[in-house]
Amino acid sequence: MAHKKNRNVAIIGVGQTKHSSHREDVNQPEMIHEAVSAALKDANLSIKDIDCIVHGNMELFEMIHQPDLWHVLGTGAYGKDSIRITTGGTVGTTLACASDNLVASGMYDIVMAIGFEKLQEGHTTGGITNMADPLWFRNLQTGALTGSTAYDVIQEFGEDRAKRAAMMYRIVMDKHACLNPNAHRAFGLDFDQVETLMNTSPQLVGELRLIHMCSQSDGACAVIFACEKKAKELSKKPVWIRDHITIHREETFNIFGYHKDFPVLKTHKFAAEQLFKRNDIKNPLEYFDVFEMYDPAAWWGLDWLRDFFFLKGDEHLRLVENKEIMIGGSMPINPSGGVIATNPIGATALLRVAEAALQVRGDAGAHQIPKEVKHALASGFGGTMWTVLMMLEKELSW
Amino acid sequence: MALDYDRKDCFIVEGKLALPYSYFAGRVGSTFITTLRDKKKIMGVKCPVCNKVYLPPRQTCERDLTDIRDNWVEVQPSGEVVNFTVVRYDDKHLPKKAPFVMALIKLDGADTPIVHILDGIAPEEVKIGMKVEAVFSSSPTNTILDISHFAPKKPEKAFVSERKPSGAKGEEPVISEEEKLLKERRKAMSKKVIITAALAGAATMKNQTPSVPYTPQEFAEEAYKCYKAGAAMVHVHAREDNGMPTHDHKRIKDTHDAIKEKCPDIIVNLSSAVGMGKTAEQRISQIVYVKPEMASLNTNTMNFSIIDRKTGKIFIDFVFENTFTMLQDFGKAMEENGVKPEVEVYDLGGLDNWLLISKQGFFTKPYNFNFVWGVAGGMSFRPDMFMVLKNALPEDSNFTTCGVGIEQFPAITMSCLVGGHMRVGLEDNIRVPNGELAKGSYEQVEWAVRIAESLGREPATPDEAREIMGLRKR
Repeated sequence: MAHKKNRNVAIIGVGQTKHSSHREDVNQPEMIHEAVSAALKDANLSIKDIDCIVHGNMELFEMIHQPDLWHVLGTGAYGKDSIRITTGGTVGTTLACASDNLVASGMYDIVMAIGFEKLQEGHTTGGITNMADPLWFRNLQTGALTGSTAYDVIQEFGEDRAKRAAMMYRIVMDKHACLNPNAHRAFGLDFDQVETLMNTSPQLVGELRLIHMCSQSDGACAVIFACEKKAKELSKKPVWIRDHITIHREETFNIFGYHKDFPVLKTHKFAAEQLFKRNDIKNPLEYFDVFEMYDPAAWWGLDWLRDFFFLKGDEHLRLVENKEIMIGGSMPINPSGGVIATNPIGATALLRVAEAALQVRGDAGAHQIPKEVKHALASGFGGTMWTVLMMLEKELSW
Repeated sequence: MALDYDRKDCFIVEGKLALPYSYFAGRVGSTFITTLRDKKKIMGVKCPVCNKVYLPPRQTCERDLTDIRDNWVEVQPSGEVVNFTVVRYDDKHLPKKAPFVMALIKLDGADTPIVHILDGIAPEEVKIGMKVEAVFSSSPTNTILDISHFAPKKPEKAFVSERKPSGAKGEEPVISEEEKLLKERRKAMSKKVIITAALAGAATMKNQTPSVPYTPQEFAEEAYKCYKAGAAMVHVHAREDNGMPTHDHKRIKDTHDAIKEKCPDIIVNLSSAVGMGKTAEQRISQIVYVKPEMASLNTNTMNFSIIDRKTGKIFIDFVFENTFTMLQDFGKAMEENGVKPEVEVYDLGGLDNWLLISKQGFFTKPYNFNFVWGVAGGMSFRPDMFMVLKNALPEDSNFTTCGVGIEQFPAITMSCLVGGHMRVGLEDNIRVPNGELAKGSYEQVEWAVRIAESLGREPATPDEAREIMGLRKR
C-alpha cells in the first residue's frame, strides 16, 4: 500500500539543456530558459498553463543568493507562485517530490520543477563548506571525494576483481553517454581499456581515480507535473508517480572512523526497504525495468546496487561483469550515462526522474532501452548523506 | 543593542575562506556591456508581444517568454528617478563615500528602471520624477560602472559647435518621420537669426578682459570659436600689437585675411569708424582696400564718450563725427565696391538721416540696420523705443541690435523676440548675463544661441545670413 495520496499525479513534460563544462554564451536565467522552453514544448503547453514554479539548486554553488528571484527572467515565474528548494545533492529529486506533493494536495493542477547548476561560475567549496564543524575535526568539507568505498569493495572481493568491476561500470556508463546527445562527457571508452584505465587514470583518493569520478557540468532540467484529470486531458503518455521516499538519518552525520556494522551510506538501504515494503514489492530487481541512479562515482554505483536491490554476496558485481546493467541487459542502469557523465548538481537528481520518465514513455531516443518500460526507479543522493527514491509507472494500475 | 550578555568561557574558532568565482554574462549581457563600453550606447531589448523595452536587456520577456535576444533598441542616456535611497554609512564594499544616493532610474525609451549612483546633487534635494542623465566613465570598467554615475540633467544646450560649412552636403542623420514633421513645423514657425560677434571694438583692452584679440592670429582664433558656437558674422576693428585701434591697411587686411583663412565660411564685417581721432579718408580707404563683405556705416554726428555710469563723471569726452557728406560718400564707396553697409542707428535721428540720404537711390536692397544702445551720447535701451525704430524701417529691411554693457542681453533678446538679429561680443560688453567675465566673445554667442533656441529660432549659417542680408560672398 503506497502512502496515501489525495489525487494521482503524472509527469507530462520534460526538458533539459545540452550539458557541458562551460556555458559562457548564456547567463543563469538564459540557460534555465532553454530547459523550461524544452519542457513546455514537450508538454505542448505555454507558460500560462503553469500554476507554480518549484526552483532548486545547490545552496551558494554559483555564489548567487536567492537565484530564484533573478531567474524569474528565464523560469516564467513572473506573477506565479514560486518556491525555492535547496537540499544539497538530492535537490533535484526533492523538487520532484515537492512538485508531486503540491499537485497531489490539490493546491495546484500543474507545477513545473526546475533544477539547474552552473558549476563553472561558482566555487563548490564556498557552498559545501557550511558543513564544516572545525571544533570536531571537520575544518572544511571540500566535496564528495572519498576512497573508502573502493577500499571496502577491494577488501571484500579482492583487488583485481573489485577494480575490474568498478572500471566495467565506468565504461558501461560511458557507452550509454555516447548514445545521449545531451550528456556532458562521452569519451568512447571500450571494454578492452579496463586494465589500462585501472592502472593509468590519476588517483584522487586511494583507488578512486579521476576516470571513476563524476563531472562538473553546467546544465538545467525542467519537469512538468499535472494532476490526473489534467494529465489525461493534456498528455498522450503521462508517466505516473507511484510513490517517493526521502531518508536522512542522524547517525550518518557521525562519520568519524568506520565500522562495518554501521556503514556510512546506509540510507539507500533504508529508503529501498521502506519504499518497496509499503508498495508490496518483494523483488525490486525483477519488478523494475530500468533504474536511473544518482551515482557520483563508479565505485559507489557498483556498491550501491546491492543496497537498492537487496542483493547478496557478489550478485551486484556479477550484474556488472555480465553487462546486465547495460541497455539491453536485465536491469539497465542509467541509460542516459548517469551522473558520472553529466553532473549539473541541482539538476542531476531531477535528470534521473526526467530520464526515467522518458524511458517509460519510450521517448529516450538512441538510449531508449529495447524492452517496454512499465516500472522505472529514480534515485537522488546527497544531502548530507540523504537518499530520495521515486517510482514511476506507465499505467495507473497499482 | 548592548552586547552585555555573559561571554565568559565561550570558545570561538576563527576561519577564513578565499572564494574564487566566475560570472558568465551570457551573450545578451555581453552585447550590452561591450556596446556600453565601446560605443557609450545604452541598449535595451523590446518585446514585440507586450511592447515593453527591458533594461537591463534579457534574452526572453519574462511575462510571455517571447525570445527577444535580437530585438535591440537604443535607449536614451537620460531618464527620470522613479525611486531612491540615501546610503548614510561608509563601508568597504560601497562604491562611494557616504552619504550618497542610489536611485532607480527609468531611462527614456525603457520600461524598466535600473539602479545606479546619483551624484552631483545633495541627497536632500533628490526628488522622485527628477530628470537625470548618464555620465560615462572615462576609462572602461567592463561593468555597469562604464556609466560612472547619473547626474541631474542640465538644460538642453543648442548643438551648434559641430556645424558643417554652408552648402556642404554631408551624411544626413537618420531621423524618424515623426521627428521630420516636428522639425518642419518648427522651421515654419521660426526664422533664422543671424548672430554677429563684435570681437574687439576700439576701446576694450586686455586689462579689462584678456580674451580681447589684438593680433591677426588672435582675431582668427576668436572668430573661429564664435563661428563654432553659432555666429554667422564677426565685426572687426583691427588692432596694433599694443592694442591700439589702427587704420593701417596692411594690418587690417592681415587681420581680415587671417580670419578668412582660419574660418573661410564666416562673414567679416569691418568697422568704418576704426577708432577715435581717425580722419574720414583713413576710415573709408581701408574698406575700399580690403573690400570686406560688409562694413559699418554711421549715420549721425554725436557725443561718443566715456562717462562713469554710477556718478555721471566724465572720463573721456569725444565727438564722433559723421556728417551727411560722410554718410553719402562712405555709403557710395561701399556700394560701388560691393561692400554691404550695416547702417548704425544710435537714435531715431540717425535713422532719419539715412532715410534722407537714401533718397539719392544708391543704397541697394535689402537694407541692413543695427540699433545701438547704451553709448554715452546715444540712447539707452527702452523696449518702446525699439519698437519705434523697428516700425520706422523702410520695406526690405533687416535689423540687428547691440547694447553696451548690461544692455547687451536685454536688447538682443528683444530683437530676437520681434524678428530681428543679434550682435554680441567683447566690443560691447565683457561679461555674460550671470555677471562673470566672458571667456571670450564666443561665450556670449553661446548665450545668444540659447536665447534664440528658447524663442524658437535657429541660428543662421553664414550662407543663410548672406541670403538674408543680400551679401556677395568673397
